[in-house]
Amino acid sequence: MLMLVMALALVGPLLVSLHYGDGAQYGLLMAGVVLVAIGLFLRNMVGRNATYELRAKESFWITSVAWLVVPLAGALPYLFTGVLDSFTDAAFESVSGFTTTGSSVVIRPEDMPVGMLLWRSVTQWIGGLGLILFIVAMLRRLNHGSLQLYAAEFSGTQQRKLHPHIAKSVSRMWQIYTLITLILTVLLVLADNGWLESVCLALSTVSTGGFMPAQFGLVGYNDLTISILTVFMFLSGVNVALLYNLFTLRWRQLRVNHELMIYVGIYLFASVSCAVAFVAVGNPMVPSLRYSLFHVASTISTCGFYTEAPLVWPFWASAVTFLLILCGASAGSTGGGIKLRRLMTLALYLRNYLTRMVHPNVVFTVKIDHKVVPGEYVNKIFGFVFLYICFIIGGAFVLTFSGCGIADAFCMAAANISNLGPSPLINSLGASLDYALLSPLAKWTLAVLMLAGRLEIFALLAIVSPSYWKRR
Amino acid sequence: MLMAEGGLMALCLVPAWHFADGTLGPIAVSAGFTLAVGCLMWYRHQHDTVIEDRRMSYLLVVLLWVLLSLFATLPFMTTGATTNFTNAWFESMSGVTSTGATIFPAVSSLPSSVLLWRSMTQWFGGFGIVLLVLALSPQLGINKYSLYTAEASGADNTGKTAVRTVVTVRRTLAVYLALTLAFIIALWLSGMQMWDAVNLTFTNISSGGFSVNSDSIASITPLQQYILAGAMLLSGVNFTLLYLLFTMRWKQIGHKFDQLRFYLVLCLLAVVFVVCTLHWHSGYGWNDAVRLGTVQTVSALTTTGSVVADCTQWWTPTMFLILMLSVCGGMAGSTSGGLKVMRVLILLRNARCIMRNRLHPRVVNPVRLNGQPVSGHITNNVMVIFMVYGFTLMVGVMVLMLCGVNATESIGAAVGCLTGYGPGLGASGGFGCYAGFTVAAKWFCSLLMLLGRLECMTVIVLFLPRFWRR
Repeated sequence: MLMLVMALALVGPLLVSLHYGDGAQYGLLMAGVVLVAIGLFLRNMVGRNATYELRAKESFWITSVAWLVVPLAGALPYLFTGVLDSFTDAAFESVSGFTTTGSSVVIRPEDMPVGMLLWRSVTQWIGGLGLILFIVAMLRRLNHGSLQLYAAEFSGTQQRKLHPHIAKSVSRMWQIYTLITLILTVLLVLADNGWLESVCLALSTVSTGGFMPAQFGLVGYNDLTISILTVFMFLSGVNVALLYNLFTLRWRQLRVNHELMIYVGIYLFASVSCAVAFVAVGNPMVPSLRYSLFHVASTISTCGFYTEAPLVWPFWASAVTFLLILCGASAGSTGGGIKLRRLMTLALYLRNYLTRMVHPNVVFTVKIDHKVVPGEYVNKIFGFVFLYICFIIGGAFVLTFSGCGIADAFCMAAANISNLGPSPLINSLGASLDYALLSPLAKWTLAVLMLAGRLEIFALLAIVSPSYWKRR
Repeated sequence: MLMAEGGLMALCLVPAWHFADGTLGPIAVSAGFTLAVGCLMWYRHQHDTVIEDRRMSYLLVVLLWVLLSLFATLPFMTTGATTNFTNAWFESMSGVTSTGATIFPAVSSLPSSVLLWRSMTQWFGGFGIVLLVLALSPQLGINKYSLYTAEASGADNTGKTAVRTVVTVRRTLAVYLALTLAFIIALWLSGMQMWDAVNLTFTNISSGGFSVNSDSIASITPLQQYILAGAMLLSGVNFTLLYLLFTMRWKQIGHKFDQLRFYLVLCLLAVVFVVCTLHWHSGYGWNDAVRLGTVQTVSALTTTGSVVADCTQWWTPTMFLILMLSVCGGMAGSTSGGLKVMRVLILLRNARCIMRNRLHPRVVNPVRLNGQPVSGHITNNVMVIFMVYGFTLMVGVMVLMLCGVNATESIGAAVGCLTGYGPGLGASGGFGCYAGFTVAAKWFCSLLMLLGRLECMTVIVLFLPRFWRR
């Protein structure tokens, strides 16, 4: 089923390729045929009688396997069209696409066939809201188990459902998602960009992916485009459910949402302080402000676009960037990172803890949106953050094997586990922006980190843990 | 009362050691001054009752370390070892927190009394932290919420060797003295000068890491290095455990087995990794690789910071592992710094439990330590300390970078200072020193040392507005 969907997704780029005659059409066609074949095969083998109920175990299995198989299958077009010749590179690019990371090993994207450019962005778009949601929307028959899948995808953040019927709420999310993409595309076209570029950028922005159609990022686009992108990057870091409320004009729901407030607050504080820092080291005023608005939006939503930076890069900007990379976007958005909602919980817990150090007999609870967060939830969040940090450390450790410095390794690991991808931060520390130069070991490490970040670790760890395979 | 007593013992012991060595006038002066202040404080506070206010106890603990460090600067200043107060403060803070980060580029050119004093501060600081953890903090009520959470609140009842604090103090002191003596004699028998043996034992048994030579412990014989590695390894072991070990109570050791086993296994794995990388990547022969790898890894895990070779040339992954080991640290209730093995163990087990719980949502499986379930709020407290520790580390790196240290070196320095390991990366690593840092960076590093030694929370709570409110 999934394969068929992907083959369907390939049709778009295929048509574009045919139209431009850029030589990628045969490769794309071949990849499409292979995917259809595999898809049909799988469906006939297993799909027919897939009406059993899902338990936690199976849902983990489906989530993880989907996230492993799909990116690997998605690597086929790169190989068949000859854009990338090694399987490692193709897999890296594809994983980076589906996990909406946006790290690219293609050194000069502008030389790619146009169809492939589009395919890259399409992978991000699909990855954006989660492949699983995709299946859930498609496979209504799995109704009972789909809640489990939903939980496996968005772990530990207590999602509010838009609609009691899970499939309905998922399809509403998709409606919003598509709608925003369309609006953005139209706006970009209106801002004097080519159709194809607009579509690519829109697909990559809304999914907080961050593949860019040119080598040096978004250099050479006009200010209007940059501003539009800034706004939409910011929006795509917001909980999709909230966006739904926004579009249906349910303002009250927005106002009581603390996470949104914090998100806006952090965004404003970070951009203003970065702008001040840029000006303080001697950059001109207006471009600095525009750049820091853009840069902070790109980082906090873990989108990962970059554009021409001001000449002098103050240290403060790097520090803010690094912190933003770790904290990431709101829960339930397409962005990555630890997620603000978790951090809010932790911060509140920490405050309570400190108070309890002074007044030991006070009883506290952690409240978010006026609702008490149960203790076991706090514990889960702690566990998650612990593992997250472990993954960063472990990833950085493996990266040092291939010759990265310790600081670079940390930045790269953090940027990829939070699905940010390329960032000027890495550049300012002296590492190469071109992931192409890394060794295969480092590329695979980063790919695993991206998956871990996208699946929020537990789903990935669960299927490799021995207790998963033990019969109970 | 107890707190004041602890502080006084600290302050009064200082001069005692001075006089033993006091051939120099300036040292006598500073010792006299310290003694005088100590006596005055003792006189003023001898009739105080038990401190009941918890806020007071946090304040006292922090003040104690700051005061110790302040008085410890006197010998540096009066003997003219350094004329700069920042440097003296850095060095003495590094001493009393048994960090081992030094400001002097050429240690061997310092007067011998100053050298002994440096070693002394470490020996003393190491003992101080064990005392604080095992004896004083249960009395102060700190234990329950911040310092050795898992140790104190039921997870581990063997934490109390004796009910009465005085007994605990005596036993800890006995163990510490016995260890020190044993290693001094061992080193002396292996052919070392008495002077070196005393100094090196002092700094290594306290997991400090100062040395009397500029090249730390690189120039002593392999046998002596192995002996010191033994001292370091023991310095990372819980003192209650050591006491049980000496008195041959094997049955009770079983209760602590989890922590000890994890500590030893971790140490072994790390040693194997470091030795292998040293042999295959850095091109040392097997003999050298085993020696250097073992000693340096143990030195890192116990956050001692004695340096056995010029590590700055080693392969990056090796150095990375060494840094991470020092973040992990030794066992709770030992002289070593870092996050402590026990916490890491609880963190790992908790993560495993959460994962199991997600797979089998209805299964009840608490985190277990030594076969006993650890209650939920203890795990959460450990988590909090972990988060705060990590956050402090991150902020530390950033502030150091703001002070103009480059990225790699700030990571090294922040880890080195916060965990109490000592040497960092680059200029401050290996046989290097922190002399090249700016004044702001030096002050910040000494703050990190204090934070790391008192495990962050005790210090951070002082900065809480609510703390000062009535």
